[in-house]
Amino acid sequence: MNLPEQNFDLNVLSQLTETQEFLNRMPIFSGAPAGVVKMFAYLAKKEEYVKGENIVSGDIRCDRLFLIMSGKVDIFQMVEGRRFHLQLLSADSFNYFGELALLAEFDWFFSARAWTDVVLLTISREAFTKVMERFPDSYQAMVQKIIKLRINRFVDQSNYLLDHISPDAWREDPPEE
Amino acid sequence: MVCANTFLLLFFSSRMKETDADNSVRITERPLFYWILRRHRSMQLFLLLIIVITLFFKVFPLEMQKRIINQAIYLKDTHLLFLYCGLYIGAVTIAGLLKYVTNVLQLYIGQKILVEMRTELYHHVLQLPLQFYRKMQPGTVISAMTAELNAIGFFLGGALAIPITSVLTFVVFIGFMFNLNPLLAMLSMGVYPLEIVVIPFLQKKYNRLNKKRVQTTRSMANVVNESISGIHEVHGNGSYHLEEEKLSSYIQQLYALLKKLFIVKYGIKFANNFFQSIGPFILFLVGGYMAINGQFTLGALVAFLSAYEKVYDPWKELIEYYQSYQDAHVRYQQIMKTFDLDPEHLLLPYNRAPYTLQGNISMKNITFSVPGGVKLLENINLDVKANEQIALVGYSGSGKSTLALLIAQLYDASKGTIFVDDHHMEDLSKLDVSSNIAMIAQHPFIFSGTIRDNLLYGIQAVAGDSSLPDRSQFLSVIRQVGLQDDIIRFGLQAVLSPDQCKPFRDKLLRMRQIIQTSLRSDFEHAIEFYDAGSYLYYSNIRDNIVFGDSLTSEFIIQRLPDHSHFMGLLQEMELEKPLLTLGYAIASQSVTLLADFQDDEFFFQDNPMEADEFTTYSRLMGKLTGPQPTEKEARRLLLILALRFIPKKHSIVSLPSAMEQKILAARHHFQETIVHIDMDHCKVHGTCTPCNKVPKCGEVSGFIPFCPSEYMYTRTLLDNILFGAVKSEHILDEQLRDLARQAFQDEGLLEEVMDIGLDFEVGSKGDRLSGGQKQKLAIARAFLKDVPILIMDEATASLDNTSQARIQGLLESDFKGRKTVIAVIHRLDLTPAYDRIVVLKAGRIVEQGTYDELMARKGAFYELARAEF
Repeated sequence: MNLPEQNFDLNVLSQLTETQEFLNRMPIFSGAPAGVVKMFAYLAKKEEYVKGENIVSGDIRCDRLFLIMSGKVDIFQMVEGRRFHLQLLSADSFNYFGELALLAEFDWFFSARAWTDVVLLTISREAFTKVMERFPDSYQAMVQKIIKLRINRFVDQSNYLLDHISPDAWREDPPEE
Repeated sequence: MVCANTFLLLFFSSRMKETDADNSVRITERPLFYWILRRHRSMQLFLLLIIVITLFFKVFPLEMQKRIINQAIYLKDTHLLFLYCGLYIGAVTIAGLLKYVTNVLQLYIGQKILVEMRTELYHHVLQLPLQFYRKMQPGTVISAMTAELNAIGFFLGGALAIPITSVLTFVVFIGFMFNLNPLLAMLSMGVYPLEIVVIPFLQKKYNRLNKKRVQTTRSMANVVNESISGIHEVHGNGSYHLEEEKLSSYIQQLYALLKKLFIVKYGIKFANNFFQSIGPFILFLVGGYMAINGQFTLGALVAFLSAYEKVYDPWKELIEYYQSYQDAHVRYQQIMKTFDLDPEHLLLPYNRAPYTLQGNISMKNITFSVPGGVKLLENINLDVKANEQIALVGYSGSGKSTLALLIAQLYDASKGTIFVDDHHMEDLSKLDVSSNIAMIAQHPFIFSGTIRDNLLYGIQAVAGDSSLPDRSQFLSVIRQVGLQDDIIRFGLQAVLSPDQCKPFRDKLLRMRQIIQTSLRSDFEHAIEFYDAGSYLYYSNIRDNIVFGDSLTSEFIIQRLPDHSHFMGLLQEMELEKPLLTLGYAIASQSVTLLADFQDDEFFFQDNPMEADEFTTYSRLMGKLTGPQPTEKEARRLLLILALRFIPKKHSIVSLPSAMEQKILAARHHFQETIVHIDMDHCKVHGTCTPCNKVPKCGEVSGFIPFCPSEYMYTRTLLDNILFGAVKSEHILDEQLRDLARQAFQDEGLLEEVMDIGLDFEVGSKGDRLSGGQKQKLAIARAFLKDVPILIMDEATASLDNTSQARIQGLLESDFKGRKTVIAVIHRLDLTPAYDRIVVLKAGRIVEQGTYDELMARKGAFYELARAEF
């Protein structure tokens, strides 16, 4: 079989290649075999949201990982009808959310909205499971990376809360019972 | 309901009366000839008459043969020659025509009898008790009712005619031969007694083997049926080899049997042929000697030889008849033996209308045992008042479901009695029970057909078609059980014909207009609306060029590569080469990327190539040296992939930006020159204003463009309302569903859509429905019957918590004080709502009372509840 690149306009191949290059830059896929990344690039879906549009809501079943290609995403939690901001994610810093959705099914425990116009790349849990079934050797490493990403976010969110905690709420020791 | 029942009663009674005279013997005890001698006698007599007439026209040509030689030729009389030849050909033609009529009549009579036999047997089979089906494999029943009965049908038609014809023909030809020369006749008949000994001997052997063949075929049918029914388990466990091995042993057995069977069968044939050849040998030897010595005329010898040949035909037919009788007899005996059981209850009440029961149930000393003496229920005493709601609880195997089945008359108690109101359960006919009791099983059976067919199943069984519920009753039950969203979704996925669409076409277009205008800002995140002047990134290239559909499927993708005008357009617009290049890129990338994934359709969801096409394209890529093949089929395959390509959905390749403008220009050209549509008009009117111009064009050409004022009859209802391609299913599902429903409601279209959804085809055993949908459908089916006694055997177990709570709420509100409910329940948190809880353990009732009473007693129920919580 001839290599396709030798026979036609390279423009037609750009989409898959661009997605693969983008995934290679993501921490979750760093070090993953090229075959695995290529399959995720093939199965990933682009989603576009305009500024202010809801991306996920707290009461809906989670089913996919989001990677921010461009724009900013506001992560927040609704508490008694009020929005509580948790994190502002952008393409060049914490550029992912919903990573645990790849491993388990649960209702989103946070909400997300487009802070600016955003372009997201999503990978569904089904796609993740199907690819991992074909590359079982990579599964362990992928799970570890997902957990590390989650820890990084947890640390970041905790720091943010600590920075903004009211002096009255500060405790050095557990409250006495 | 009473009126409907009476109708049903009359219907069944008249059917029974029609056949009563013929059916004095139980169906499984009737011999095979019982059917033949008692059915369609006048037709059979007519057939016999034709056969007798045929005989004359069979013998007559022989006499003419003799006279042509002995008189016309001998006397050199051409006048006589013409006369005898004319009579000869006339007789032969009439005999041929009569034979044709005989064959048709035989087949007709046979099939008529077979229809009756099959109908009556199926009527009997359906009434057999459930215990029969516990031990009987479905494959056996299917094989018996289909292939085995078919084989008998071929015998039935000729069962009387063939032997009578053959014997009469045989006797007449023998008589003719004796008339010509008694000595020769005696000699040529000498071989027949030998056959009478040899053939039956071989036939007995054949019958034995044939019996085994029927049994082995049934076993094979059972294994295949079981594998197909349990195909989920087979795939789930990868147990292909186990199933293959099971079938393989039967295939081998059948092969060995058939080998022996055919050896015997062809042995019989050989014996026949051999004996047939001995006859002419004797005739030529003795007849020739006599003719040389002047003791026999040449004409007589020729006629004798013809008669001998003719006499062998009926003999051969008799032998074949004997074989097919034996074959049919063996099959018939086996079928009737299989179903030789009596139904346990009368189908219809005798000389009365079905009872209308209040719903009181009383069980006295009920014991139920299975073969082997194991008691599933023992000494059960339970009284249920009319309209009382009872929960049956207990550990697995405690007998809850068995008790429910006994109340539904699906099983009969081994000991003790059940009363419903004051009627003994044993005395109730099936119609009494089905008119008063509805049962919902944990794993209900859904029949192939539509949702509407399945909903009506219970009512039609009891009341026929005379008192079907109206649409509001249907929809009310659907809302009650929580099927509404599913039915709306099915309705939205329906493709409506112009006639179906006509009553609410304008309303649907109005819905489209609402989405395009007042709801546009919400929907445009999820939908890329059709716009005559823009490239559509969420639609395929075909839709971008054709921008509409033909009512005659003229412009479907598969046909476009062979469409001369379309291909001419691609060449003119210089699009053919870029599209072939694009198709080549898709094929080449997909074949490389998915070589190890071709067994799973999931990996082809976002690819223009379908999983089952992978091998074709893989072979194609192996042959091609570049993106512009010369072979027509290769170009066709590449073009199909390119035309299916959706830029924003198929990430496997990108659409070169230069192609977009070319495709837009091609769209314009296509509309103007091929389907003659004025797209400029559409562009001027924008995307939401209905107009009267385009529909007229569409009506003329049979082409429906993506125009705001046109209903697209080849697309789903949802496609028509959204009027665009879906960008994000997530947004559509999660955020816009309620908005759309409200708009439907406001336009008075919701019930119309649900009505369309009721015609959704559920597939074999309801395979196109989820487990929850099947369960809700079964619950709705039972509720729609609206009978006084409802038995629910873990009927809500496979529903999610919300749906379960909805059904429970219905029992507590709508059914309270209106229906007797007996519910087998595993989830004990549902039990407080019941009037009484009955606790079973090892086939006995160990406790009963209200929830509070039982919890306070701290007995068996308390233990069960503690274990659960």
